[in-house]
Amino acid sequence: MTRRQHDVCRFLLFQQFGEQVSVVGKYLLQKSPSPLHLISSETHLDTEQVKKILCILIQQNIVTFGQHKRGFIEYSIRTGEILNRLWFPKYIYCAKTLYGDAAELLLEDVLQRGQVQMSKVIEVVMQRFNEALETSGKQKISESFVVDKFSNLVRTHFLQRCLDPIKSESNKVVGLEVTGEEETLYRLPDLSRKRKKSHDDGPPAKRSKSERPADDEGDGIFWRVNNERFHQMFRDQAIVQAISSKIDRSAGEVLRAMLRVSEVKTAGMATVTTPISVTEIFNALPKDLMARPLLETYLSLICDDSTNFLSKVGDSGGGMYSINIYEALAQLVKAHIESVVQERFGSKCLRIFRVLLLKKHLEQKQIEDFVMISAKEAKDLLYTLFSENFITTTEISKTPDHAPSRTFYLFTVNIQHVASMVLNRCYKALYNAMVKKETEVNEHRRLLDKQERMEAIAASVEDASQRDEILNTITPSEQEQIIKVRRTIQMLDHSELQICEGIFILEMYLMYFKQRQKDKS
Amino acid sequence: MAGRGRGRGKNVSFNVEALGFGRGEALPGPISQPPPLFPTADFKPVPFQQSEEYDYMLALKQEFLGNMRKSPFFLQASHKRKDIERYSDKYQAAAEVNGKWKPDWRRLPAELKPRVRKKTKSSIKPSVKVKSKVKLSVEDVSKTLEELEKKEVDQGDEEEEEEEEGGKKKEEGEVEEEEDEIYDEEDIEEETDYILSYFDNGEEYGNDDDDADEGPVY
Amino acid sequence: MATAAVKEEPIEEVDFETRFIMLCQASPEGITDNVIQKELPQCDTKQRMTIVNRLLSMGKIDLLKSGSKLLYRLKDPDSASQVKGGDNQEKLVYQIIKDAGNKGIWIRDIRFKCNLLLTQVNKILKNLETKKLIKAVKSVAASKKKVYMLYNLEPDRSVTGGAWYSDQDFESEFVEVLNQQCFKYLEQRAAAAREAKSDPIAQRNASFTPLEDVWKYISDLGISKVQLSKEDIETILNTLIYDGKVERSLVAGQATASGDGYVKLYRSVQPLIPTTGLMRMPCGACPVFDQCYEGGAVSPTTCVYMKEWLEI
Repeated sequence: MTRRQHDVCRFLLFQQFGEQVSVVGKYLLQKSPSPLHLISSETHLDTEQVKKILCILIQQNIVTFGQHKRGFIEYSIRTGEILNRLWFPKYIYCAKTLYGDAAELLLEDVLQRGQVQMSKVIEVVMQRFNEALETSGKQKISESFVVDKFSNLVRTHFLQRCLDPIKSESNKVVGLEVTGEEETLYRLPDLSRKRKKSHDDGPPAKRSKSERPADDEGDGIFWRVNNERFHQMFRDQAIVQAISSKIDRSAGEVLRAMLRVSEVKTAGMATVTTPISVTEIFNALPKDLMARPLLETYLSLICDDSTNFLSKVGDSGGGMYSINIYEALAQLVKAHIESVVQERFGSKCLRIFRVLLLKKHLEQKQIEDFVMISAKEAKDLLYTLFSENFITTTEISKTPDHAPSRTFYLFTVNIQHVASMVLNRCYKALYNAMVKKETEVNEHRRLLDKQERMEAIAASVEDASQRDEILNTITPSEQEQIIKVRRTIQMLDHSELQICEGIFILEMYLMYFKQRQKDKS
Repeated sequence: MAGRGRGRGKNVSFNVEALGFGRGEALPGPISQPPPLFPTADFKPVPFQQSEEYDYMLALKQEFLGNMRKSPFFLQASHKRKDIERYSDKYQAAAEVNGKWKPDWRRLPAELKPRVRKKTKSSIKPSVKVKSKVKLSVEDVSKTLEELEKKEVDQGDEEEEEEEEGGKKKEEGEVEEEEDEIYDEEDIEEETDYILSYFDNGEEYGNDDDDADEGPVY
Repeated sequence: MATAAVKEEPIEEVDFETRFIMLCQASPEGITDNVIQKELPQCDTKQRMTIVNRLLSMGKIDLLKSGSKLLYRLKDPDSASQVKGGDNQEKLVYQIIKDAGNKGIWIRDIRFKCNLLLTQVNKILKNLETKKLIKAVKSVAASKKKVYMLYNLEPDRSVTGGAWYSDQDFESEFVEVLNQQCFKYLEQRAAAAREAKSDPIAQRNASFTPLEDVWKYISDLGISKVQLSKEDIETILNTLIYDGKVERSLVAGQATASGDGYVKLYRSVQPLIPTTGLMRMPCGACPVFDQCYEGGAVSPTTCVYMKEWLEI
């Protein structure tokens, strides 16, 4: 956890839960795990208040607790969960595109409450939905419709059960389960008892336990969002989008189908998907999208492409293909970094950077020749890139005495290192945008509030002329200012969203990189 | 070694050209003021990527944040007390979408349960004893006993005494009040014009009887 | 009398020369003008001078000074052979330079190869230069270095920098123009392929352009004063690859004169992603990013770049 990430976490807590929660959050970010009384004394907040705050944070899955060996309960914060809140709008949008408006509302509610009971959330969503439908004069929806959407989300693992609390002998709650078994996480509480995909079919072990009388309503069972599943979705989307812009949309569709097939077959952090046969891909494609020969054409096209996303690994079943997840992420990360280099240092520096990526190690003279710049310019640009830590040097000496005049100085790029650095910068930029937005809003709060109030009042007033009168209490210059402020807020919000895209890819890549290191050792 | 650190003398041990300027050339000009705080930027930011998707997500984001702020999860700084009741309170109270939130104690450690004390608010609201969630400490019990004794004597003063107690407990901070907002299940929020003492919800009934029958309670 | 004297002169001169040498041989420490005058009274100053010069240039005698008088001394055969050795040295150096071909050779390397003293080498080089057998060319790699090569050779491009250098100056604009032109051409070809073909593989293949075609196109454009070779165009196309705008593919083909049996194909490509989000706001390229913190002089609230950006 870097300092920048902490800053962003603190600010998110402040934004969404208020000042006091962010104070507790800040303390826990530095000192997790920590018992209740310590939190209270260190943050100088009243114990009762801290209790409330902890309840809120636990509810929102941000804080977890466990029993210390001496018996008292310790609370720790999960920074990953806080940062995940950056993606919440994207989760909601994703649900909408997959399953429609009902799913959108479902997800909104789940995200807002942190942990929900199925019956409750369905009730709320139905109410909202029907309200909206009524006002627009459309037919109301039935409960089963919403239940259906909920089940879809669970079945495809976007929602999962909250883990049960660990109870001590005296049946007091002392901790939260850390991981749940796959089977139980996605089991819907209703009678039809849906299960996860076929290959994971185990014996219906926990049947008796879950047959509590309250189960029919889902009472006692809480649901929450499954972050990893959404992240997997975003990762896949990024890959599909990249190949679509490199080749064309149909190629994107082919990869999308392949990724969908491999969702169940491949382990979460695998660097390469398990091989998939052409037949399977063809069956997974949307009907009538393309004929089989065309599919095979596209497969070989994507394989041959310089991006190296796909490889042919066998010939059975018409051809076995495998997506190189790690490779794809590495390419995407390089693309992001190259974008940074170009916009920050210029096209010549981009050339230098790319030539080093391609050729790994080069001397200054060689760089000059490849990139076609003069020696003076090369010196200048290489220094710029070097001082900003985008490139590094390695020394290879010709003679044992390591004399500078008889040593090769080779320039090189360390992608993992540069990715971390750019990621850090992203977090700081994100924080800056958030802070700036907050200050802008505070500065003009009076004005914004006024406008809101006026609009609320005007909306409730029937008479048109009275409405106008109310709206006219806002002077034209104030109006102008309001427009400007709103525009500012819009821009800053927009930039936050777009920075987050970059953050996602960089984080994903670094995660896979670490995993790969672990696997190797 | 001899030339190290000696600057631009005749004999320097390293290649002077590596410094960036050759011999005989002028040194970079003298700097007479600190560098500007915000030097002119060579590269301007690239315009945003526009798409319907982003616009929708922006709206989602703002809506989500707005909802979070209105939710019971957002804790206002406790000093934000309303000194006088404002007309707009009615509107703002109505904007409370999710109202109260009750944590499910089956999933939380017991130590996080708030210590709810028997007390009232300063506003004219009938106080209702909180049901099963009350965890009375020993102090409370003895205070309750005192109260009940006094009730024998002067029923009418009850309200004031409770208010006194409530005043004492105010030391705990206005926190308690907010707590009540969240944890009281049957809080009647309507402002009533009725004088409290006329309101008899029957809870005192049993107590009096007890006292009358059994004498002092230990 | 006069005619007789004229007729006799040449013969006498030769005689004089031989007699001069005999005189020198007789007195190894050298003879003075006076001695010559005494022994060869018929030889006047002018004739004497001619003889002396001739003998000197032939390397047969040495001219020495003793006090205020001039001495002529016969060079002994050993030193005479040294003179020939001097010729040999020259020949050696000449050979070394010749071997270096049109890349030329640096003075230090000449020295390593022939093991002579630097002063000697310098002298020989000066000699050869005056004789117009060799010339010095400034190398573009190190502007202070000179390389020597045979006089009538055209210096190799690595020395002069080839088409990209004019008088030691790298022609950046020229390179940029070529870069843009090549890219435009490749883009045109790719666009044409997209429109003409429907099958994706055919599209891809058609959008690939061989090096040959690009070279021809550029040559026909006539923007270059110098004739550009295929290798020149290849280096330009490589810069486009490093720009991320073009990709290359090698396909087996006929072995050509430049001979590796591969045909180099190029096509323009789309980037994987549009510009990353970070660079769409000022913080991405901010020069004072590292000094920025909330509460400091440089901070998000006081940031001038943000203000400017939000205002537009």
